[in-house]
Amino acid sequence: MSLLDALPTPRLRWGRLHPNIVLVSLSLIMLAAFWLLDVVSMAPNRIVLGTGHSALEAFGWPGALLATLLIATVGIFACQPSQRHYRALLATIVLLMALMPVGLIASSYLLIDPELPQARLGLGAAYWVVLFVLLLCLIEIRLRLNLTRLWPTLLLSGVALLWWLCATFWLDSLALVQEFKARDQQFVRAIGQHIRLVGIAVSISVVMGLSLAMLMRRYERLQKGAFAVLNFLQTIPSLALFGLLLAPLAWLAANVPFLDRIGVSGIGTTPALIALVAYSLLPMVRNTYTALEEVSPDTLEAAKGMGMRAGQRFWQVRLPLALPVLLEGVRITTVQAIGLTAVAALIGAGGLGTFIFQGLGQAAMDMVLLGALPILMLALMVDAGLGALAEALRPGGIR
Amino acid sequence: MIELSHVSKRFGEETAVDDISLRVAKGKFCALVGTSGCGKSTTLRMINRLIEHSEGDILLDGQAIEVYDPVKLRRRIGYVIQHTGLFPHWSVARNIGLVPRLLKWSAADVQTRVEELMDLLGLPVGEFAHKYPHQLSGGQAQRVGVARALAADPDILLMDEPFGALDPITREKLQDELAKLQARLHKTVVFVTHDMDEALKLADHLVVMREGRIVQQGTPLALLQHPSDPFVESMLGGLERGLKQAALTRVKDHMTSMGPTLPAQSRIPSDFSLRQALSMMLRDHSDRLTVVDQHDVPIGELSLRRIIKEAQLDKGSARE
Repeated sequence: MSLLDALPTPRLRWGRLHPNIVLVSLSLIMLAAFWLLDVVSMAPNRIVLGTGHSALEAFGWPGALLATLLIATVGIFACQPSQRHYRALLATIVLLMALMPVGLIASSYLLIDPELPQARLGLGAAYWVVLFVLLLCLIEIRLRLNLTRLWPTLLLSGVALLWWLCATFWLDSLALVQEFKARDQQFVRAIGQHIRLVGIAVSISVVMGLSLAMLMRRYERLQKGAFAVLNFLQTIPSLALFGLLLAPLAWLAANVPFLDRIGVSGIGTTPALIALVAYSLLPMVRNTYTALEEVSPDTLEAAKGMGMRAGQRFWQVRLPLALPVLLEGVRITTVQAIGLTAVAALIGAGGLGTFIFQGLGQAAMDMVLLGALPILMLALMVDAGLGALAEALRPGGIR
Repeated sequence: MIELSHVSKRFGEETAVDDISLRVAKGKFCALVGTSGCGKSTTLRMINRLIEHSEGDILLDGQAIEVYDPVKLRRRIGYVIQHTGLFPHWSVARNIGLVPRLLKWSAADVQTRVEELMDLLGLPVGEFAHKYPHQLSGGQAQRVGVARALAADPDILLMDEPFGALDPITREKLQDELAKLQARLHKTVVFVTHDMDEALKLADHLVVMREGRIVQQGTPLALLQHPSDPFVESMLGGLERGLKQAALTRVKDHMTSMGPTLPAQSRIPSDFSLRQALSMMLRDHSDRLTVVDQHDVPIGELSLRRIIKEAQLDKGSARE
């Protein structure tokens, strides 16, 4: 998102129009995807590969026309941008997102034969492309309207809630929902495990990162050494690190009864946590260190000259001023840990990765999605939440 | 009272401050002037122990500063720095109340004091108390910096190029205000600057430093009249020295009572400086001015001949 923030929007001039070229192109991409790619796929049961269906088949003439009209509206508003038009665009895009599950309900009535109780509906390429492009539109509009991150987050949460309601009450035939219904207990447990692993790993690395960064500020030699080690850790592939930890941890568990009793073993939670913390430390330490170092020396000099003690200077001046950058580190670390925890499923630590790897094994893509989508959602939520928090912590909007 | 005797500061091999002795009497304004790197800032920072001196004695009210806990010492000394050093995450009111809070004043006392100081420095409480430093102009921010330094009513005020980063107009305004403030509060001030005009305008006692040593010290007038060497003379502005000296002298000290001559056309208030009087004569093509009091009533006369004859410009500089 930050990279996109940095890109200027090119402005073209066509006669009297000054179109927002980004939004116009995105609207054209959506139209093309909507008409050229499969919107949904239908399979009579779980094993058989589904057959793709176009927008006309999936939604019928009225539905396809409505969607086309709405997408075209995006392009038309973008041709003559103004604050009012951007607000209208925002409304149109939220409406499109809200209509996406409704479209699926329509196509489940049109396409699914009631005689086939096993029949299931899959999301086609067009669905994913349109969803992705709508999110890009949202970013562009957020920048144009100069909104904080909070607004889009609230809007998206509303849309997500709507999808959840539709999926629960009217979309039994959606493959994703069927996969979920078949293992809802397991799903709830997995998401709990996932969040717990990430939470513990991030908490540990926040504490360790903060202490390490503070030690590094005191001992300059430690700084070079520690960064070298952390950089090296970061280059080890995650799977290899899990493998490397297996043997020593198994040996420890076998030979030190205490460790065995508190649950240390070669596979499972312990190696997963160790690896997660090892990967999380670099972004955490780097951001914490930079954040603490970047505080203006003038401010700290003044604090000392006013008669603040070392502890007061740290807790009342240095830390609060470093907090926005420090939180940025927590955000990066957490988002990264959410993704990495998926791999931890391979060594029996549980979590949403379980579905991904089981699904891959059974060639059941919808089951992979059941694991991957919540991971994506979690990462986006954490990203938006911590981003908004860091923004809010800048008093009076400094920097 | 601040007293430095034979104070030196060495950083490794390098000598930053070399055997300086200096006395600032209670309620006096002392300016340390010199080019950058001459040790004036180091000298200032040794007084509140941000830098510990290597040799010699620094006494506050006769007591060696090593006796005090550095933190408690600093809370007794107001400190203002060039880039204000305001805490960007605190409101103006919270910034000003820092030292009283460190001294564990009650919340009500802190608030009363903060409002008093904002009043004193011309910052309307309603408008500024809740602003953050980045919402202030340079001049406003430095007013807050001064208010913060004065918060716990310290006897001593250390100022490290406080107006160095301001535009000339704001700088002059703040200098005038500081002079007025000092006339009211009588703090013992040590003021570091590289701007000689600023020092001449504000100081009771002027200290010129070069390469860690004191080259000359004394009252501004004494230095202007008898600069000890070419360096001090060039610091004092070379040929401009006469005018600078005139700037330190009031019109009322050189006027004569109204004579039988025709009343001069232009009028000048009696508390203006001779420099301003000279400028007015040049502007108005006149060698006589009528001196008036604050109610614009003529009380005397000032002539060019008298300024030149009696302005105590020493012969050395007159010949130049």
